[in-house]
Amino acid sequence: MLELFGQIEEAVTAIQSQWDKKPHAGIILGTGLGSLVEEIDIELSLDYGEIPNFPESTAASHRGRLVCGELAGLPVVAMEGRFHMYEGYPLKQITLPVRVFKALGAELLVVSNACGGMNPDYQAGDLMVIEDQINLMGDNPLIGINDDRLGPRFPDMCEPYDQALIERAQEVARRENIVLHKGVFVAVAGPNLETRAEYRFLRNIGADVVGMSTVPEVIVAVHCGLRVIGFSIITDMCLADALQPANVEEIIATANEAEPRLRTMVMGVLAGEK
Amino acid sequence: MDEVDLVQAAAEAADVIQQRWSVTPRLALILGTGLGELAESITTDVVIDYSQIPHFPRSTAIGHRGRLICGSWHQVPVIAMQGRCHLYEGYSWQQVTLPVRIMAALGIKSLIITNASGGLNPKFQTGDVMVMEDHIDLMFRNPSGCAESQGSEVSKTARPGWVSRPYYDLEFRNAAQQAARRSNVPLQTGVYVALTGPTYETRAEYRLLRKIGGDAVGMSTVPEAIMAQHLEMRVLAFSIITNLATPDDLAAVTGEDVIETAQAAGNQVEQILAEVLPQLIDC
Repeated sequence: MLELFGQIEEAVTAIQSQWDKKPHAGIILGTGLGSLVEEIDIELSLDYGEIPNFPESTAASHRGRLVCGELAGLPVVAMEGRFHMYEGYPLKQITLPVRVFKALGAELLVVSNACGGMNPDYQAGDLMVIEDQINLMGDNPLIGINDDRLGPRFPDMCEPYDQALIERAQEVARRENIVLHKGVFVAVAGPNLETRAEYRFLRNIGADVVGMSTVPEVIVAVHCGLRVIGFSIITDMCLADALQPANVEEIIATANEAEPRLRTMVMGVLAGEK
Repeated sequence: MDEVDLVQAAAEAADVIQQRWSVTPRLALILGTGLGELAESITTDVVIDYSQIPHFPRSTAIGHRGRLICGSWHQVPVIAMQGRCHLYEGYSWQQVTLPVRIMAALGIKSLIITNASGGLNPKFQTGDVMVMEDHIDLMFRNPSGCAESQGSEVSKTARPGWVSRPYYDLEFRNAAQQAARRSNVPLQTGVYVALTGPTYETRAEYRLLRKIGGDAVGMSTVPEAIMAQHLEMRVLAFSIITNLATPDDLAAVTGEDVIETAQAAGNQVEQILAEVLPQLIDC
């Protein structure tokens, strides 16, 4: 991990040479959720290729640019499109943007993703605020010699998602009449979706939803000391005994349909930061 | 490195150790977090820094020294690793298990492993010592399942032995239990789950690990035990419960807390070991 410090500095220098504000929050927008960017008063937009050490996003419906500007009256940096383990990137590289957010001065990380719902009380199109997570990716972004300048050797994970922010999100949801579940997100590497037996297993071990992202970014956010709030859009229901073949177009359509509510949630949570 | 290279590397390292210390040790000890002090009670003949041994991985973890103590403990010739290497430090499975190969190359047939762990079993208390009865490997790193080792000596010869014997020798475990009773030291028995770390677990992960049958969770020992069994060594392993993972009432853990508790419980392990030592040698 000793190479990261220099890589972060290079990326930060490239961004700061064109945008000199200190962002309050870094935002990661997942599958089908990129249009939250429309709410941002964009002051600078950089393709990932223009930022040193940023990987290129190859996933469907992920754009691949960093947007700097104002959202809900706060300076923010937002990733329109993220990187996944299944694209073949090492977790250290996937999570580099989170460290760049921190180095730019951010205090807060907002993550979003599209996921499969396993809790039978959920419905496709519902939102969930992530209460806790399970890492079943078989990897960890912090493996390697620790750089104490970036964070502790053994980060504690007893509260990876900030409880006060979760409560604020629930308040916003009640006020805006939005269905917002609170649950446990389990991350697997993918890229294949799970078998019925795997869905039963994941449900059994205590997860409410399953996805292929977010967990590495949140581990690194905890490592570098960011407060975290995470939202999942349940884009399809994965009930082992009533499983339908997944349809990527439908999943993206569900994400798009749910997105205005996600925007309301993110704007509401950020408004409480002022 | 393939199996042949690893055997060669272990032989070279063993040669260097034997040039400095010609005794054939009866027992090897891997001293984990907080247990490094046990080395102080060894009547030392030679101390060798890991950096002086070819191919030997160096420990970067806090609470780990990184040297080999050669000498006698209660009149038994032993070799002790003061500090170990972990997968979370970025070392490969092959590197982490190389010291065990070196021990085998020195002619050692019995291995004692210690570690610090988080307790999952609600009957455990902070500072308890647990003798490992079995383990669950959730490290996702065992190379026997990787394409790179297919066709190697490991995959051809080692599999049958890996399933036919327990990892943790029953006679050794029973002897340790008896020794603990004689010494009036409480000793738990349980299953150790290994993850790479370096993050401690989330509450949801602790619930998962308990549900699948884990009593304690840590970031070491399993690679070493698997390698020791591959090399037909007998293993006795102790885990010090340095914090209790109570997912419904979880408090933050730091590496420093863990080391403090481990050091306090370390002398209980030492008491049990001193008492059981004659039996291990006779077994």
